[in-house]
Amino acid sequence: MATNIAAQRIKREFKEVIKSEEVSLYLNVAQCSIKVELVNDSCVELKGEIAGPPDTPYEGGNFILEIKIPETYPFNPPKVRFITKIWHPNISSITGAICLDILKDQWAAAMTLRTVLLSLQALLSAAEPDDPQDAVVAKQYKEQPEMFHQTAKHWTSVYAGGPSKMPELDEKIKRLTDMGIEEHNARDALSSYNWDLERATEQLFS
Amino acid sequence: MGFDVNRFQGPVDEELICPICSGVLQDPVQAPDCEHAFCRLCMNEWINRQPTCPLDRTPITAAQLLPAPRILRNLLSRLRIKCDNFVHGCQQDIKLDALMAHLEECEYNPKRPITCEQGCSLIIPKDEMKNHNCVRELRNLIQSQHQNVTEMRRELSEQQFQLNEQKREIHLLKDFMRAMRVSNPIMRDIAEQMERDEVARWSATLPRARVTRWGGMISTPDELLQTMIKRTLSEYNCPPHVINELMENCHERKWPAGLNSLETRQNSRRQYESYVCKRVPGKQAVIVLHCDNTHMPEDMTVEPGLVMIFAHGIE
Repeated sequence: MATNIAAQRIKREFKEVIKSEEVSLYLNVAQCSIKVELVNDSCVELKGEIAGPPDTPYEGGNFILEIKIPETYPFNPPKVRFITKIWHPNISSITGAICLDILKDQWAAAMTLRTVLLSLQALLSAAEPDDPQDAVVAKQYKEQPEMFHQTAKHWTSVYAGGPSKMPELDEKIKRLTDMGIEEHNARDALSSYNWDLERATEQLFS
Repeated sequence: MGFDVNRFQGPVDEELICPICSGVLQDPVQAPDCEHAFCRLCMNEWINRQPTCPLDRTPITAAQLLPAPRILRNLLSRLRIKCDNFVHGCQQDIKLDALMAHLEECEYNPKRPITCEQGCSLIIPKDEMKNHNCVRELRNLIQSQHQNVTEMRRELSEQQFQLNEQKREIHLLKDFMRAMRVSNPIMRDIAEQMERDEVARWSATLPRARVTRWGGMISTPDELLQTMIKRTLSEYNCPPHVINELMENCHERKWPAGLNSLETRQNSRRQYESYVCKRVPGKQAVIVLHCDNTHMPEDMTVEPGLVMIFAHGIE
């Protein structure tokens, strides 16, 4: 029975998201849009996409999500994680795992793909640093908000197609890649050490 | 879980959709305070996991769920839905509240039981009719019956065996009691009482006989006739301790004073009708047991009883 409900629900919710997409296109508010598409034409796995909300470091970026529908859906929440790398206190900068109550114990059976994606968009606007998924990011968010803002903006432009260019940060990464460090690792290390080149180098070579 | 929205003509109002399964509400229940409605099955499934309203997370328990209000149920019952068997060709649009009744008799239901008219008269689901073969079905039936019979035979022989064992045991016990009777006078009384009871019980199993022609009595039966009667008595469970005595009492030389000669029999004739006679099954003979005939004069009966063989006239 549960499998049947899951498939029926996903088909309907898929249409619901498509409909809202059309509305937002019509209103020309594409920057708020959410999208979803089926993977392998099955109702078991979907690919979601949310636009970074305006007035946040994520503005202008498009973030891809992996959505897995359990057999017991909608009695259990979908399993969602970020495929696009993102710098956010409630999202693991390494795995993309998300800490959001409605994807865990606060899930309710009447929630849908659309409400989940909108909640994630809201999470990007309003982080919860006291309930972090990534402790390093959360610490930076609380202690050095300006640094956090820069880093998140930088990650958005590199991984999510964001508009801002930050030559001074790129320069630091280049210094490390010149030493033979892989670019992603260099960025991770620098971001984690508040762009302190010396400490990042130390960590990478220890 | 609710009904697929696509089975309804035209759009269905959002209010009639279950927020859990996204189908049209089936057997709806409603939350006590927020009054949100869900299919009963969907809600039970959810509330087992989390005791809250799936829409607004108000805490609720299964016991607090109420049946949906009449107006909601009425609106639902008016919707017209395609029959479950529309893929099998049923073209009907049925009112939702009449769906169950329709399904029971829908002739497009592939599982509807029908009687085979090709000869075997077995009742089978309609969709199996195409590949139905009377001979094969009946052969299977015979085979399964045959298995039953074999099984029953086996049980029968097992029980027969047990029965024989028990008979043997009873026999041993009787022998044992007889041995005790010889050595103890009180036991002797008990044993005699038991033997008398046994005769009375046996007598009760035999049918009453009516003698229509007392003149047909054979007072001096030959050996052959006696052997035949004795065998019959034994077949009909005559207690073994009386059978020989009874058979000895089938000849006038052993009969009591009132019967032992033609002359005395002539005198006693009028009393014959008072005898309680028991039939020797299948034979022209009766048993006159002492225990059945305590009302008769002493010179007309004898312990434990006597056998009268007739040429004819027994019913």
